[in-house]
Amino acid sequence: MENLLEVKNLRLYYHTSKGAVKALDDVSFSLKEGETLGLVGESGCGKTTTGVALLKMPSPPGRIEKGSQIIIDGTDIVPLSDKEIRKNIRWEKISMVFQGAMNCLTPVYTIGRQMLETLNEHRMMEEKQAVELIKEYLGHVGLPPEVMNRYPHELSGGMKQRVVIASALFLKPRLVILDEPTTALDVIVQAQIINLLKELKKTFNLSFIFITHDLALEAEVSDRICVMYAGKIAELGTNAQIYGKEPLHPYTQKLLQATPLLHKKVDTLAFIPGTPPDLINPPTGCRFNPRCHCTMEKCFTEEPPLIEVEPGHQVACWRCVK
Amino acid sequence: MEFWNEFKRDKSGLVGLGILILCILLVVFEPLIIPYKEAGTKWRSIEYWQDNSQSAPPVWTNLFTKTKQAASADLRDFSKTVDADGNTIYQFHYNYQYDLAPYDLIIRAVGTGTIPLTVSVMRPDKQVIELFSTSLYNLSENEPIRISILNSSRDSALSFVREFESEENFGNIQTMSAGVTEIIFSEAKPGFVQNQIPLKGNYIFEIKVSQPIAEEGQEIPKVYFEEPHISVVGRVSGLLGTDNSKRDIFSGIIAGLKWALLIGFFTSIISVFVGVIYGIITAYFGGKVDSAMMFFWDYFISLPVLPILIVAAAIFKPSIWTLVGVLIVFSWAGSVKTVRSIALQIKEETFVEAARALGASHGRIIFRHMAPILIPYSFASMALAVPGAIIYESTVSLLGLGDTTVVTWGQILNDAYQGQAMLTGLWWWIIPPGLAIAIIGMTFAFLGFALDRILHPKLQTR
Amino acid sequence: MYKWYAIKRILKGIVIYSLLIFTFSLLFNKVADETQRSQIEEQVRAEAMRQKGKKAEEIKAFQDQRRKALIRLYGLDKPYFEKVISRTVKTLTFNFGKSTIIKSSDGDRDVRKIIFETIPRSLLLFTLAAIIELIIAIILGLKKAQNPGKSLDKGTTLVTMILYGLPTWWLAMLLVMLFAYIIKIFPSGGMYSSPPPEGIMRLFDMLYHMILPLATLVLLGFWGGSFFIRNIVLSILQEDYIMSARARGIPEKKVLFGHTLRSAAPPIVTMVLLGIIGSLGGAIIFEGIFSWPGMGNLYWIALQQNDIPVLLADLAITTGIYQLGLIALDLIYGFLDPRIKVGGKA
Repeated sequence: MENLLEVKNLRLYYHTSKGAVKALDDVSFSLKEGETLGLVGESGCGKTTTGVALLKMPSPPGRIEKGSQIIIDGTDIVPLSDKEIRKNIRWEKISMVFQGAMNCLTPVYTIGRQMLETLNEHRMMEEKQAVELIKEYLGHVGLPPEVMNRYPHELSGGMKQRVVIASALFLKPRLVILDEPTTALDVIVQAQIINLLKELKKTFNLSFIFITHDLALEAEVSDRICVMYAGKIAELGTNAQIYGKEPLHPYTQKLLQATPLLHKKVDTLAFIPGTPPDLINPPTGCRFNPRCHCTMEKCFTEEPPLIEVEPGHQVACWRCVK
Repeated sequence: MEFWNEFKRDKSGLVGLGILILCILLVVFEPLIIPYKEAGTKWRSIEYWQDNSQSAPPVWTNLFTKTKQAASADLRDFSKTVDADGNTIYQFHYNYQYDLAPYDLIIRAVGTGTIPLTVSVMRPDKQVIELFSTSLYNLSENEPIRISILNSSRDSALSFVREFESEENFGNIQTMSAGVTEIIFSEAKPGFVQNQIPLKGNYIFEIKVSQPIAEEGQEIPKVYFEEPHISVVGRVSGLLGTDNSKRDIFSGIIAGLKWALLIGFFTSIISVFVGVIYGIITAYFGGKVDSAMMFFWDYFISLPVLPILIVAAAIFKPSIWTLVGVLIVFSWAGSVKTVRSIALQIKEETFVEAARALGASHGRIIFRHMAPILIPYSFASMALAVPGAIIYESTVSLLGLGDTTVVTWGQILNDAYQGQAMLTGLWWWIIPPGLAIAIIGMTFAFLGFALDRILHPKLQTR
Repeated sequence: MYKWYAIKRILKGIVIYSLLIFTFSLLFNKVADETQRSQIEEQVRAEAMRQKGKKAEEIKAFQDQRRKALIRLYGLDKPYFEKVISRTVKTLTFNFGKSTIIKSSDGDRDVRKIIFETIPRSLLLFTLAAIIELIIAIILGLKKAQNPGKSLDKGTTLVTMILYGLPTWWLAMLLVMLFAYIIKIFPSGGMYSSPPPEGIMRLFDMLYHMILPLATLVLLGFWGGSFFIRNIVLSILQEDYIMSARARGIPEKKVLFGHTLRSAAPPIVTMVLLGIIGSLGGAIIFEGIFSWPGMGNLYWIALQQNDIPVLLADLAITTGIYQLGLIALDLIYGFLDPRIKVGGKA
């Protein structure tokens, strides 16, 4: 099967007065149709930036650097003009459910009006048809059609999240990026939303990129996991490879260790010492070296490349190079 | 120090600070800078300004005109000699380089008893005109003497003209366009009845105080004549000209500066302070207290300030400080709403709950925990409230309802309006006071906005 | 939901307004009293003049009798508080009485007529100015928000700060001096030439007279508005829902004018309304400089001529319009912001 999405050498830098912040520095991965790829990492590691980059919407002063390639369905969208992206790619091929859906709906328009507006930008439809379509999708996410006449503030967090999901789906995109879709919700609603997403994925044969910092959630949802650190990929593998056996990258190891398990007694909570690095002047060599517990000399001088250690499993660590 | 670095970032804040410091210096050094020392207290005294030019443009307007008009001056240097007959002669030198003669010359002195005196002038063309000759009798102790050449030397001037003018032209004397001073300062040649050509050069004015004739067998009475000086009443005067009551406008502006600052400071500081405390208290206590306090506030904010201010001023004719008080009463309500909303959010912060749990009293929480967060923000509000206060006062003064015992810029503008300055195009009367108000306003706007940018409590809770 | 909000607000406004009028009646009771007494005296004298062929004592007796009757009629012999209350009620019901000197345009001394004539003149000028200022402020404010920190933004903000403390009436004085007396191209005051022309020319004549005051107001007025709009729009543009709208493919124009401006409408409308009622308050001087026969000018004339009934009535009306404006503000804000209009969570 052809890859639905191929990202090669993606670089996204924010050009500030203090220097270029290398938010994404040479990120490469691929996604098959019907797959869920999870992006995990600490705050600021580049997960949300990746999502935003795939939509080609870096917030200024960010810029996707030359040499980056984002190939969806065979088309590289990096060189395309904004107009073309708006017409054919954004929301048509790729859509996104943003972090904090609560704030993603304009407070002065009704739900229906906003959804109709989105629909009208992409499809020529009679109003009746459009309304039917919206009601259909609202139904898919479990919302009654009356929601169309409501204002965002009248809905609960979970309902708003569902609206946003419905909006992201109704143009039938190939790929949906979900950025922390459940972070602001309580656990029960979270479970509902996750189940809903799983169903929708099956029904519509969707492909997801699921971004979260919640490792447990990631394990439940994703087929493949991509661990990011400081704008680069640390480890990339299947669910089983990362969570099942012992992960190979020291960062991933530490991450998993830091998640306390209910059935295990813990005296001290494990944590990763230090703070995420400065992305304007990252450490030389491997970016994780200030906080790594098993460094070698090489780690401080050369950046480790992302190499495949077994089929489907890539790591960027000198310890894993034979 | 962090604050100072932040503050320096924006140039306008620095400009504001600079101008403010300059103004404070001007107020402190007012006695040194102000040309007319008693302008502040003697603004309405006709006597004080008697010898000044009336409605004269500023001196520097001469730079822009071909005909240079004579500027006002004070001749105080003289040489005193006694001649063979025992007469005391005071000589004043005046270098005249203008095209248009001064409006008048005022001879001033102080004297006692009987004083025979003669005033004459020797022109650069060596012609001498006797301007004035008389004996002053029975002057009381150190009585001020004032002789206006314009008034007293008409006949002398006419005789002088007659000497040099053709008979024919002199016959047309009715249509003479020259005044006394024009004659004194122009070339003596036929035709100078109608057309004066200025005679530039050194003029020597002489005041001769003669020995009075002694009575039979009596001693020669002593002549007490002191402090002579000559005021040249120019056609242009001062840095900012004069108004129609001969007052030097620059002095007025300097004298008014301290009032503008005082009014601004007191009104803004007190009213913002009251407003902030009010806002915190009403937010802190909430519930019924909040409802009642906010209702009271609603009442106050619904008052149209200016109309009421005007009626109150008309009826009660307040002094400047009473006016400030009234301004405060009307202005405190302005800051309450914003402060209240910020205070409401602070109230929700856990540290307030913690303080209560620890047993802190209401007063302590309000003044020790909540107020300190808002005080920096209130500085910005205070700065931004100053221009408003100054404008209110100047509006009331403009209508003639202000405190006439002090000079404020609004008063000057009132005089200008009453004195038909708009009609007669006396721009130097209208522009400086208003410009001063605008500049002070601008200064505090710069300061206030710079402070606001730095000190506004950036609310973390979204 | 909204109906309740609206009713509560209007009621509160009425209560406050009544309190304000009560305060005025309290403060100016003495002065108003004196005025009424002298008006009564005037009337008594006039009536006495018409008594022909009576002896001096009889005339005097007649005057005393009439005086007493009129005093009783107007309630001037009642105790203090009764007088204040009755005056409050009279003012609230727009029962303003007669003026002492001022006449309306058709010679009437009915204060209500006098005042109501002047209201539309003020409103015309200030509302028109506000509309023009708003249009300029929106255009400029949006442009500034789209390129924040660049030269247009910085430059206009600087000018805004420079003009912050400049009194409008002073600029008025300058412009009148310049354009009406030095370069004589505009009239120095008034609303019409005298005598006013007929028909359509009357309209043009009024517009001609409006140019200078309108220009003064607009020249100073739009700066603050554009600064305000710029800040509001900027803060909204940083909101997540704007980014989300862009991501969904909404074109930039719609994002700006639809989502952004619409969300900014409540505070912007607040600003505009506050501006109008604020300028009405300051109209006293402003109209005076231009001799524009509006409420502000009337106030000043009444003050100078000591026409207390007109003065108090003008004060009452001005306060009333002020309060109406504040009420309208809250109501419109509530209407425009769905969070208030529709309220609560489902």
